[in-house]
Amino acid sequence: MAEPDVGTRLEPYVVERVDAEKMKLMAAILQDPNPIHFDVEVVRALGYGERPINQGPINMAWFMACAVRFAGGRERLLRTQMRFLANVFAGERFVAEGTVTALDHEAGTAELEIECTADGRPVLAGTATVATR
Amino acid sequence: MSARDYSHLVGHRFPGGTYTFPEYVNWLWEDAVLSEHDGGLAHPSLGYYIAMAGLGVSIGEVMALLEGTPESGVMFGENELEFHGSLRAGATYECEGEITAVERKTGKRAGVFDKLTFRIQVGEPGASVPSVVCTNTWIFPRKEAGDG
Repeated sequence: MAEPDVGTRLEPYVVERVDAEKMKLMAAILQDPNPIHFDVEVVRALGYGERPINQGPINMAWFMACAVRFAGGRERLLRTQMRFLANVFAGERFVAEGTVTALDHEAGTAELEIECTADGRPVLAGTATVATR
Repeated sequence: MSARDYSHLVGHRFPGGTYTFPEYVNWLWEDAVLSEHDGGLAHPSLGYYIAMAGLGVSIGEVMALLEGTPESGVMFGENELEFHGSLRAGATYECEGEITAVERKTGKRAGVFDKLTFRIQVGEPGASVPSVVCTNTWIFPRKEAGDG
């Protein structure tokens, strides 16, 4: 990758429409019995809305996708730290975008700040460290 | 759901164990997260999956430690992954995990809730440095504590 500058904006990673079917697949992979990911009746009863809620690990993967694309490969991702701020619902438009906030030329790393939204609402925020060489 | 104090769980060690990461899970995971396949190099988010798969207990069993149930609205709060090596489909990993914090909090929107933090180290057998360290924080709503 070319040496970035502090303040460089990351190319946004966009999922145009969050797919409820992928949530079912993820629930099966994780053996996650939480019905908020596949049973709208439970989502409604808990007061979370009217649509299934995306799993945290899927949101996590999209956050990482933004950093990995910038870094130029999965092997360059060194650390991620993220806070889950709000639920992401089926049908929403998810966007992960960010900025280079620091560079360590000696270590060959860059610090990234990444924010994710769903239909414009903040849903996930955090930082990533990537190798720059 | 309970309003009990769960701070005694700090230091609780999970059974852990050995987990061989199947190729088909790598494939299905990448499909679920809309990622392209990258040979044998696993998607970094699988650091979370492998850590949980090798923990020696299910997600439901972790919830049960704080009397959470699948219907009680337990949510992901925070996650940190540190990568010291790459993860590969077909490889075997050893996992060790423990609870590092349990805190009761009150939020404007969330009301009363418990925060459970647990840390899992994932490494190749015999390796001195783990490939991945995964730290999770889960949120357990405590509506009845707020009502009191």
